[in-house]
Amino acid sequence: MENVFLRFTGAIILSLIIAFALSILPMRESWLLWRPEWIALTLIHWALYLPKKSSLVLAWFVGLLVDAIHGSILGQHAFGYIIVMLMTLRIRSRILVDSFFHQLFVLFVVLGTYLLINLWILGVTGNSPAGWGYWLTVATSIIIWPIYNYFLKFFHAKKKPFQ
Amino acid sequence: MVLDYRGSRVLPLRTALKVMVYPLEYMVDLPYRITNSTKEFFTEHQRLSSDNRELRTLVGVYAARDQKYHSIARENERLRLQLSATPAVREKFTLAEILFVSANPFSRTVVINKGTNEGIFVGQVALAGNNIYGQVESVTPDSAMIIQLTDVRHDIHVRNTRTGLGALASGTGKFNLLELKHVETSMDIQTGDVFVSSGLGQLFPPDFPVAVVTNVTYNPGDSFMRVKAKSLADFTKTREILMIWRADYSSKQVMPEDDDEVASPEGKQ
Repeated sequence: MENVFLRFTGAIILSLIIAFALSILPMRESWLLWRPEWIALTLIHWALYLPKKSSLVLAWFVGLLVDAIHGSILGQHAFGYIIVMLMTLRIRSRILVDSFFHQLFVLFVVLGTYLLINLWILGVTGNSPAGWGYWLTVATSIIIWPIYNYFLKFFHAKKKPFQ
Repeated sequence: MVLDYRGSRVLPLRTALKVMVYPLEYMVDLPYRITNSTKEFFTEHQRLSSDNRELRTLVGVYAARDQKYHSIARENERLRLQLSATPAVREKFTLAEILFVSANPFSRTVVINKGTNEGIFVGQVALAGNNIYGQVESVTPDSAMIIQLTDVRHDIHVRNTRTGLGALASGTGKFNLLELKHVETSMDIQTGDVFVSSGLGQLFPPDFPVAVVTNVTYNPGDSFMRVKAKSLADFTKTREILMIWRADYSSKQVMPEDDDEVASPEGKQ
């Protein structure tokens, strides 16, 4: 079913580590809100291209690490990433994985849900962000997606059909 | 999530996770530190020597002042002996360096390079120069997360130096901006008033500068005035912060048996 395979063992973990590094890269204050959701994008990529290899447990664990480093409630991002993974896996069988516009649809739905859940949790715990600035990350995530997706493809290779 | 919100039961887990991420965090920050240190290395000789001269004179001034403090401290000790009070413990300081600023745009926290190994504890007060910077939110053996005064979750009780009236300075989540809450319309407050920590709740030491009022507005019909204040610690420029071990800030006579009084968690909601 999947016509790609990992280029080397640990490629998924390596890509997640890179995404993690990108997401904690020091940036200028005014650009912070524009930071794309690197880790969510990576998880979506793996769920789209290698659904057999992507695990919910890994998503959950990465989320816990993000919570620890962000100082958010333990489980907020973990829950969010599980939702990201699950939704992408479910939607995947209904779309053409390689079609750009289908990918955009997935991004919109999945990232939107993810951010909405985060917003609810922030609201319930009493520090909801003010203004629309919270949603800017969707825009940047979608803009950066084609390039990022292209680079992530380095981590896997296409299977050659038997001659 | 509920466990984390309601109590501190999952704190060890959080600490363990943080210890796991720490190397990665350090690696990400490394290039910045290297460029900074090389930049500092190549600063002109001229500036360094002038700095050196200035600092030398400063040391002289402080040495003279220190001498005065010594005599005062000795006198204080003598007086306390006469009053048969326990000797006041002097505050202990240590300098910590900020490793990185939180990547989370909705919180104002920083991570410093000292942890429980150096005796840092949750709730400890951090100073930047003479001003209050924030307090420790969580610790790992080698690092600690400090929540700044401007974080949305942070409040500190302050006192007007001009009139002595109190107010609550809440973080806004914006840089160097605090909001003074519960300022009644009859209260005498004007732009330029300096607010210092009041020491209520016994977490923060009293009389440390916190903020200066920049803007006072009042909408008719509101019960309180809307007061904006600029924090005196510059959170954008601070690289080193001072951690203090609180000794005895109260001027009252402390009896030996209630010496180990636990600081109440003021400032965090």
